[in-house]
Amino acid sequence: MNSLWWLALPTLLLPIWWHRKKRVQVHAEPLASARFLPRTEPRQMRVWRWADVILMIVRCLLLACLIAWLADPVLPWRGNTVVVAEGTDAAWAEQQVQAAGFKDAARLSLPAAEALRWVRAHEREWEPEARLLVLGDIPMPATLPQFRHALELRTLAKPAASGEVHVAIVSDRAGEWRRMFAALDGPLRAVVDAAPGTKTELIVWDKPEAPPASMRAPLWWATDAAAFPELNKTASVDGIRYADSPRGRLWTSNDWPPADPAAARRLLETWRSLHYAPLAHTAPAHRFAASSVPAAQHANGAVRDFLMMALVALFAVERILTHARRR
Amino acid sequence: MGLTSSALIAHTTNLDLVIRHVLAGLGQGIHAGRERGSGVEFSEYRAYAPGDEWRRVDWKLLARADRYYVREAERDSHVALWLVLDASASMMEPSRSIPGLDKLAYARTLLACVAAIAQRQGDAFGLVVLSGGRVQFTPAARGPRQLQRVLAKLNAAQAEGELPDAATLKSGLRFADAPALVFAASDFLDFPSPLSEALLRLRHMRHDVRLACIQTEAECTGGFDADPAYRDPEVDGGVFRFGSDLREGYLRNREAHFATVTAACRAGDVPLVNARIEQAPGEVLRQWLRPHLHQAGRR
Repeated sequence: MNSLWWLALPTLLLPIWWHRKKRVQVHAEPLASARFLPRTEPRQMRVWRWADVILMIVRCLLLACLIAWLADPVLPWRGNTVVVAEGTDAAWAEQQVQAAGFKDAARLSLPAAEALRWVRAHEREWEPEARLLVLGDIPMPATLPQFRHALELRTLAKPAASGEVHVAIVSDRAGEWRRMFAALDGPLRAVVDAAPGTKTELIVWDKPEAPPASMRAPLWWATDAAAFPELNKTASVDGIRYADSPRGRLWTSNDWPPADPAAARRLLETWRSLHYAPLAHTAPAHRFAASSVPAAQHANGAVRDFLMMALVALFAVERILTHARRR
Repeated sequence: MGLTSSALIAHTTNLDLVIRHVLAGLGQGIHAGRERGSGVEFSEYRAYAPGDEWRRVDWKLLARADRYYVREAERDSHVALWLVLDASASMMEPSRSIPGLDKLAYARTLLACVAAIAQRQGDAFGLVVLSGGRVQFTPAARGPRQLQRVLAKLNAAQAEGELPDAATLKSGLRFADAPALVFAASDFLDFPSPLSEALLRLRHMRHDVRLACIQTEAECTGGFDADPAYRDPEVDGGVFRFGSDLREGYLRNREAHFATVTAACRAGDVPLVNARIEQAPGEVLRQWLRPHLHQAGRR
């Protein structure tokens, strides 16, 4: 779409036309007895001559710059490239580079989650015959991406970082709650603290009295709605009523603590899915052949900043020259 | 001969040369104004009469003859001669057939010739140049140095601007006390104008006013190029066109204008000479110096 702006290039002819075409009045010779002649309209003649060549060049450049800025050209300037996801083991990456024969290729470091999308969006920057090697713990995209360049994906799954969640339980039935959190499997691990602290992400409030006003946490599980006036009129999803309070988000249910393992698992699953992002699955190694998908239409702005600066500078020069010409 | 004279004006800035050339074929002076009196050139002795100045008595002759004799010399003319040159922008009009010749040069030549004649016969002469809305006044005097002064002033005159207005002219033309001969060269395209009124007023004051209306051949016949646009050199604004379709109207307008000029001159008893600058200056000068003869001859 942007490239349609190149069609505006013929506007460059306008300044050239204006500068070349000068309407000058036909030179009038003095004639003493002109008073005996009828008055006539001054005749105008078009004379082709260059006027203010520098100003004209500046104006043409200004227009060209503007059109280029609008068209946002992308110049293919990247050759063979190795895209290394951030946080990838350097030794392994080096080994893969050697193995794939990308010794002289340029290195590009990108966040793992964005790498493939970024490459797809900026694909026009690569020369047509360039090859790409993407290394690291690249998450598997939902659909198989297609690239205009040959791209080899080699992945190394990083050991999943175990996420610790600090939970504070204020309850007379703390034992039941602790058992439930102990049963939490997967990468998310609950650490039950004795008292709520700054790191606490969940407070289980299993008491009828209201908690102190200063106590805050992102999520509260309350068994007694009377302790939180915000829970009086609330929406309910799947047996859990929820509300937002200055203390944090409140969940309450009459069935807590969960009586059976299925209910406990359901509660923990709900909690995890709503409050913690799912862990990405590392994509398998794959070799993408170059396909003829159209280039991504996203504006990419590689030269936009430069063009904008040039535009401002040219505009200033044009104003100065015009002013100087009028003086 | 006529052409060579006009061409000479176009080719030289040496007025002396032109004057000599023009006056070579010309007869005698302007007026029979030689009177006897005090002067340089000796004429005759006459017996002393009471009232004569003592310094004019010839003492050597007294010693020889024992009688008082007074040296009588040819007296200088008492007529002052004024040359009025219109050097407004319209006088820049060139001859369309003789390159380099324009109205101003022609008028300048005519006036220079008159000045030379005046100097030869001992008349005092002065010059008034009207240019750029101003009056340049050279007081009347006699002698060869005055001639050189006047020629230099004539040479320096540039055709520019308009004629001075009535008030400037009135203060500029202050020579009305003595009887004067006024030779005015102008194109009289502005008529009536402050200049024409001033000249007619001078005539009413019994000065001898003689006008030369300087024209070009192309002006008289409407022989302008149709191609270029024209502008009035004295009036700003407006462009004029000429073409064969407009010649008729042009000539009619011009004729009407100069009919007014001629009528006004006749009514004011001012002789008017129409001078085409392509004409030999000698002819024009002869007409100008002896207008009455010519007018009588025509009648």
